[in-house]
Formats: sequence, structure tokens, C-alpha cells
Amino acid sequence: MRYVKISKQNTYEFLERLKKIGTLYAPHKISEKFFDFCEVDDVKDVMFEYQRTIRPPRRFFYPEREVLFTFDTRKVELYENLPSDKKQILFGVHSCDIVALRTMDSKFIDDQPDPYYKSRRENGIVIGLSCLPDEYCFCNVRRVEFVDAGFDLFFHELPDGFLVRVGTVVGHKLVDPYEGELFEEVCPDDTENMSKFEEKRTSMFTTQGNWDNLRYFMELRLNHPMYIRESEKCLGCGNCTLTCPSCKCYDVQDIPSIDGRTGERIRFWDSCQFRSHGLVAGDHNFRETKQDRFHNRYQCKNSYCSATTTSFCVGCGRCTYFCPADIQFKKNLMEIAGYKGGYS
Amino acid sequence: MSQSKTQDEGKENIYDTAKCRLLRKYKLSESDKLFLFRFEDPEIATNWRFKPGQFVEVSLLGLGEVPISICSSARRMGFFELCIRNAGRVTSQIHKLQPGSLVGIRGPYGNGFPMEQFYNRDLLLVAAGLGMAPLRSVFLYAIDNRWLFGNITIINSAKFGNELLFKRELEAMKDIATAEDISIVQTATRDPDFKGLHGRATSHFEKVNVDPKNCAVAMCGPPAMYKGMFEELIARGYDPRYIFVTLERRMKCGVGKCGHCNIGTATSWKYACKDGPVFDYYAITSIPGLI
Repeated sequence: MRYVKISKQNTYEFLERLKKIGTLYAPHKISEKFFDFCEVDDVKDVMFEYQRTIRPPRRFFYPEREVLFTFDTRKVELYENLPSDKKQILFGVHSCDIVALRTMDSKFIDDQPDPYYKSRRENGIVIGLSCLPDEYCFCNVRRVEFVDAGFDLFFHELPDGFLVRVGTVVGHKLVDPYEGELFEEVCPDDTENMSKFEEKRTSMFTTQGNWDNLRYFMELRLNHPMYIRESEKCLGCGNCTLTCPSCKCYDVQDIPSIDGRTGERIRFWDSCQFRSHGLVAGDHNFRETKQDRFHNRYQCKNSYCSATTTSFCVGCGRCTYFCPADIQFKKNLMEIAGYKGGYS
Repeated sequence: MSQSKTQDEGKENIYDTAKCRLLRKYKLSESDKLFLFRFEDPEIATNWRFKPGQFVEVSLLGLGEVPISICSSARRMGFFELCIRNAGRVTSQIHKLQPGSLVGIRGPYGNGFPMEQFYNRDLLLVAAGLGMAPLRSVFLYAIDNRWLFGNITIINSAKFGNELLFKRELEAMKDIATAEDISIVQTATRDPDFKGLHGRATSHFEKVNVDPKNCAVAMCGPPAMYKGMFEELIARGYDPRYIFVTLERRMKCGVGKCGHCNIGTATSWKYACKDGPVFDYYAITSIPGLI
């Protein structure tokens, strides 16, 4: 792997130049408590230290709502509405979110690829950024705290800038023109500082070890009382799934024009926490109760993604942080698996 | 659509549909009709293939899509049949379509029944209610490839006699079939007035003419039936490796993307549309929540 270094000051200049390649999105502080990926206007507004964005980065490749087709009801024809080729650059993506995107890839770009997602992914540039965890983070026990793939560049914080890992050819192409100008060689001190950062980071996680056997305990304790207790608190609002970086359920609807001759076939994010998710004709519901739906999410998020060899849950902490009922996903999973140590 | 055009273009939109014309419709029961479709594009009509147990997404522009099992024989080409119950927003409109109308079709989707594994075996097909639709495809496949299979028993059941799907067709086939090697059992479970057999599928095992040790079983019906049948079949010495059932879920996209048909638990997370809808005995009995 190629490693280069960039100073903090040059990072701003680099971001400025990225804006010329495509639309640049980076974390911004949008309110007292919340961060979100926003289009970069002034590079000085970019936040280098943040825990999590309110909306997951998947929305850049798989928007909340999109028109798949327009149609003509008289000709009975669908007309593709594929996304444009414009480049989207995401700067400041944490390792958990990068792995989450790879779990999405495994479903959306399989043997029957989704052309909308695929096209945006191909036109996307992902630049990772190191982070320090808070009490909601548990990416380490999910084994995704340090990523090997899924980024073009990855910025690791140093006291005087960033150590940059180059992950893809696209990454090389971003660095090449500015080698010697914005990017310099990595010296042993930088490696030492990265080491220290990683050591500090590792010690900050409130859970330690790994949760590899979690999914087996989840099956062995299918009727754990936690599900009843916690699902009673649940409001069924779907915040957990909408903020989740690896949730991908969608619904599709035809919206006809007023005269019914034309229309749009749209898709939009759905949530397994909604009653309609398992509802079929004849009013039969495959996940009838709130507890059924609550349980379904716990199983789905902890299921195994063979592409990343991790679970679909990447431990970003969003579902807990943004839950209006204060349902503690991490704590509940530890209860099921019987993990005691390390939780504060 | 995609399938012919796209290969030239090197692009394929998996959500695109192909135009199909409704040629005939027949009433099967008060709520079920049989629809005969043909692809408008002659190339697709000639080359389109499916396996018994697979389904298609039927698209009515402005209303949406519904997953429907294909119920015709995979060996009769150029057309396909769908048995559709008038049960919801889209299907009620499909029921109103007149011959000549156009719909959009994409598919076929799902794994289907592993017919090759059934070769040289006897076949026991057990259908309840609308479950007869996908099993008709299996049955007709076996009839059209008669030399590949041993004895065949088909048990068609419904709550009421007038809800037995393809009842007259199956009766007519009785005459064609050699009496000894095909057994056709049609039974009503809750209809004292029905002039025929009464009771559940499990109560008619004496009419089954297959060898349990060398038989493949395909079932489609409500989950409660599967539980009862599993016990009965295992007790009678049927080989669990050759027992298959098909499941119903909300298969919105058909291609393992939209997530609505998800089933299973953490170690066995499945999409009914892509990993299924056909599952074997061991999958059903080892993965909680499938039935």
C-alpha cells in the first residue's frame, strides 16, 4: 500500500481541489448536537472530529427517494431514469460506514446488480477519516474499526496533519498530481504518531474483545425476555433503520399523473419497523406485532455478510444515539449474548 | 425489454419489464382466474425459460407490481399461465383485464423446484388452496417429461369443493393417465356438501401410489399443513433430503434487494425471493421462523 502525508493546511487546499473534480460532501456541524454530510462550500466548515452523522453515507449512492422509471400507461412502456455520471466525493467517512457501504455493495452489486446504485458507486470517491469513539461506538467488537478496503484514500489523524493510505487506483490518481506539493513522504515520526493514535483509540472503546459468537447466542436465545421488555418501549418510528448505514429495505410505488396517462415509478427507503413491511394482500402480515418487527431487526443486523465476513451491523451507534425511546442496542445485544466485561 | 435489447447494449436494468399480452382468461373459482400471457417480443417469447416453482412480477403501470407463481409447464413454450387470486389492489385490477390487454412482466425469479434432483424418482405433490398454482407447473412438467419420473401422486385440497383449483383439468387427466402410475386425489377439508373426498391431505395416504424410499415430495400450502405433513412423511419413511416446500412472503423486488421477504435468523438470513421460495426439509426445520 502507498502511504503519504499531508499537513492540515494542505488538507484544506486538497479539499478545495477536490471540489473541481465533482461535488464534494463532508461532515458539517448542523446543530448543537448533530453532524451530517453536506455539500462543501467553505472548506473551513468541514469537521475533522465528529462521532457520527445523523444520516448515513449510503444516501449518496442510494437516495431516500428516487425515480426509477417514468411510464406511459397507454403504450405500457417504462422509461429508465438512470442517474447522471456526475462525480460525488465523500470526504471524512469513518471506517464503520465504509464497511457498511461494502455490505450494501454485496446485495446491490451481486449477480443481479441494481443499475442505479451501481452507477452512483462507480462515480463515487470515498475518502476515509480516522476517529475516536464515544460510549455509543462498538465497531471494534464488530471487527470493523480498521478498514482494509472500500476507500480510495484514508486519512489518519496526526498531531500535524494526516497520514494517508492510498486504497485504489482512483486514490493514486488523486495523489499523483500533488505529490511533493501537497503530499509529502511519511517519516518514522509520523508512523510513531499513528501508532500512538491507534493505541489511544483502542483503549477508548467501552467494549473490548469481539462479538463473533453473538449470532449463535441470538439463535440459542430466540425467546430472550429482552425482546419483550425492549419492544414495549419501541415507538415503531423507524429512526434506527433510517439512520443505519447498512439498512437497505426499500418500497416501490407508482405515482400516476393527474390524467393517468403517464407517471413515475419511485422507490424510497422503507423500514422493517413499519407495520406495512411484512403486509401482503388479504391483510395477512408476516410480522404482525411490534415485537415481531423488533426481533426481525435484531436478527437481520446481526446476520453474517460473507463479502465483509462481518455482521451487517457495524457498531456505529446511530440506532441507539437517535432512538427517541432510548433503546440501547449495544447493551441489549450484550444481554442476549451474556457479555459482561467491558461495558460501562 | 432488457433481456434481448440489453445484451447488445451491455447494460441491463433488472427492474425493467417486458410487454406481455393477455390472450385468454378463464374462471377457476369465485376468486381465482387463470391468465394466459404471451410476450410481445417474439424473440423473448421464443427464448424465455423458467423452472417450476419460479414466479414473475406482474406490473400494471400506475398501480404497481405483484409476485405471481407461474403455473404452466416449463416445457410448453411461447406462453405462460398465471393463476391469480383477486386479493388486493393490483390483483383486483388484473382480474378486470380483458384479452388483448398489455401488462409488464419481469422474471422469472426464485430458485424453483430442483427438478433434476427429482429425475428417476416417484413424485408426491401436495397442494392446499392456491398452492395448486405452482404445483401445477411441477405436475405438468412431470407429465410433459413422463419418462423422467416414476409414479406420480397429486393431492389437491381446498376448504370447499368449489375452491379446488384446476379440479376439472385434473379430473380430465385421470382419463389420460394410466390408472396405476398416476393417482389424482382431490379433497375438500371443510365442505360436507362436496361430492368427492373429504378431509386433509394427510388422511388420504392410502391413495398415494409412490415408494417413500424413492420419492421426491413437493408441497405448497399454508405453514400449518407443512408441519403436519412433515411428521406424516417422516413417520412413513420418506427421505427428508427430497422433501421440498415453497413459501409465501412479500416478494416486492424479486431480486434480493428490497428486503421485504426476509426470513430466518442471524446465522441463516434469507430472502424468500432469491434463496427461495423453495426450501428443503432441513432448511425449514433448522431455521426458525420459516414456517
